[in-house]
Amino acid sequence: MTVHAHSPSPVDAMSLSDGATDEQSIAAAARARSKRRRIWVLVAQIGVAVVALGSWQLGTMLGWIDPFFFGSPSGIVVRLVDWFVNGTAYGSFWLQIWITLEEALFGFLFGVVSGVIMGVLLGEVPFLADVVGPYIKIVNALPRIVLGSIFVMWLGLGLPSKVLLAAVLVFFVVFFNAFQGVRSVDRNLVSNARILGASRLQVVQHVVFPSAMTWIIASLHVALGFAIIGAIVGEFLGAQNGLGLVIATAQNTFDANGVFGAMLVIGVLALGAEGLMSVVERRLLAWKPKSASESNVQGL
Amino acid sequence: MGQHATGAAGGVEMTKVTKRFVTPTGAAMTAIKDIDLVVEPGEFCAIVGPTGCGKSTTLTLAAGLERPSAGSVKVSGKPVDGITKGASFVFQTDALMPWKPIEANVALGPIFRGVSKHDALGMARDWLKTVGLAGFEQHYPHQLSGGMRKRASLAAALINEPSILLMDEPFSALDVQTRAIMSNELLTLWEKTQPSVMFVTHDLEEAIALADKVVVITAGPGTVKAVFDVDLPRPRGAVQEIRFQPRFLELYQQIWEALREEVERAYSRTAVAANVAKVSA
Repeated sequence: MTVHAHSPSPVDAMSLSDGATDEQSIAAAARARSKRRRIWVLVAQIGVAVVALGSWQLGTMLGWIDPFFFGSPSGIVVRLVDWFVNGTAYGSFWLQIWITLEEALFGFLFGVVSGVIMGVLLGEVPFLADVVGPYIKIVNALPRIVLGSIFVMWLGLGLPSKVLLAAVLVFFVVFFNAFQGVRSVDRNLVSNARILGASRLQVVQHVVFPSAMTWIIASLHVALGFAIIGAIVGEFLGAQNGLGLVIATAQNTFDANGVFGAMLVIGVLALGAEGLMSVVERRLLAWKPKSASESNVQGL
Repeated sequence: MGQHATGAAGGVEMTKVTKRFVTPTGAAMTAIKDIDLVVEPGEFCAIVGPTGCGKSTTLTLAAGLERPSAGSVKVSGKPVDGITKGASFVFQTDALMPWKPIEANVALGPIFRGVSKHDALGMARDWLKTVGLAGFEQHYPHQLSGGMRKRASLAAALINEPSILLMDEPFSALDVQTRAIMSNELLTLWEKTQPSVMFVTHDLEEAIALADKVVVITAGPGTVKAVFDVDLPRPRGAVQEIRFQPRFLELYQQIWEALREEVERAYSRTAVAANVAKVSA
């Protein structure tokens, strides 16, 4: 065993330090490469926007595109500035944004809470799942948007009808994920907790729920989008305030710039909410090992 | 532990135990049949047998996770109904919650038994020190190596001071060197706390090196084929060295003789099944 053992010689030490600088220079080169790449991606992204918006604007100015139907970037900006400065026919523009956000947020909360409770309950009690399962599938098969009409009839033009529609949309997404999450809990973990003396409630609290959490959190991104859709469609169907009403009004007056402008605002809201969600997700799933796809810098 | 006041705490007595399962296709399957097995309190009992002979089923019966279809299972003198009191289980894959730091994982046992969270975490830290994981309390399981996770699992199982420790191929997922180290550590911990142990394994060397008694189970449906007393002196010392002792080799030959037939029988059965599948395909 000792045949090949040798004491460290100056040559070894030198080659070792050479290796270290090699590693450093390689790491530095890799960092520089990835930085260059990020800059180029950003430049290209801005370029795409400039080309798209520029040709739209140019097209309307040269008369190739009819601004009456298709609007124009400058028209949209003018329309948005007008809204923000002078407000809309039904109060300030900020109020419309706030109302829609409020509806989406409440709908999201109610939908998530009820979806998680139902999902965990049905996942834990197979009898209940077998009994209720078909009915949930039937309701899920309905185009849920049409429920909005009924909700507006029942609850009127105010906040509750939109909250309910958003909550229903959110509920199904979260419910199915929570249910699946509970069903796919590692049986070993459950057995282990039971042997260690956990009651049924403790098993749910310490094993089933945290384990299903991965699935539930994955559904929250989609659910948040659905909450905003629910609020806006609800407003479309009948409302006194909100961005959906703004779009509906713009549509009825053939104000293409108004429709696009409101769309832009909704897009910004959705992106902001999405970003917030990602932060929450990172917090809640801090225990997870980085997956290969996440740590992969190249590509998407 | 070790006081006679606890009497038969940790002793296992299985008489004529049979367990049948219904497979997902609706057919009934007998996993084990008429198993008679006695583990004395404080005894280290290894169970060996070919794949699929119902070794793990025996453990789940002793743990109270399953009821026997026939026969009786008694632990500490009491018939098992519901989860067995005073039992801990170590699984092949470590049953650590990936979302809890290992300190919180180890503290689960006391918390489930109603100890306050603060005290439970204190106990967990002590146990992590005992198994050599001081300084890793806040690490998540995925940040540890396989051997370290196994140590954490052992701490999580032993923190409840079980009178019986049920181990289902606990080290089979580890590499050979880590496995030897873990075997030594298990012996040290066992000698300190002296619970009864039912240790299921594929590895006959591991079984003889660790156990007081080796039970050979037949190819499925499993039943006890033979019981061998391992009279190697204790403390055994390093598991890697004991296997060169003449007595060890003698025992190995004897037990392997009994085990070989069963392994061959189990193998020929799977080979036949594979051939049938090939022909019908």
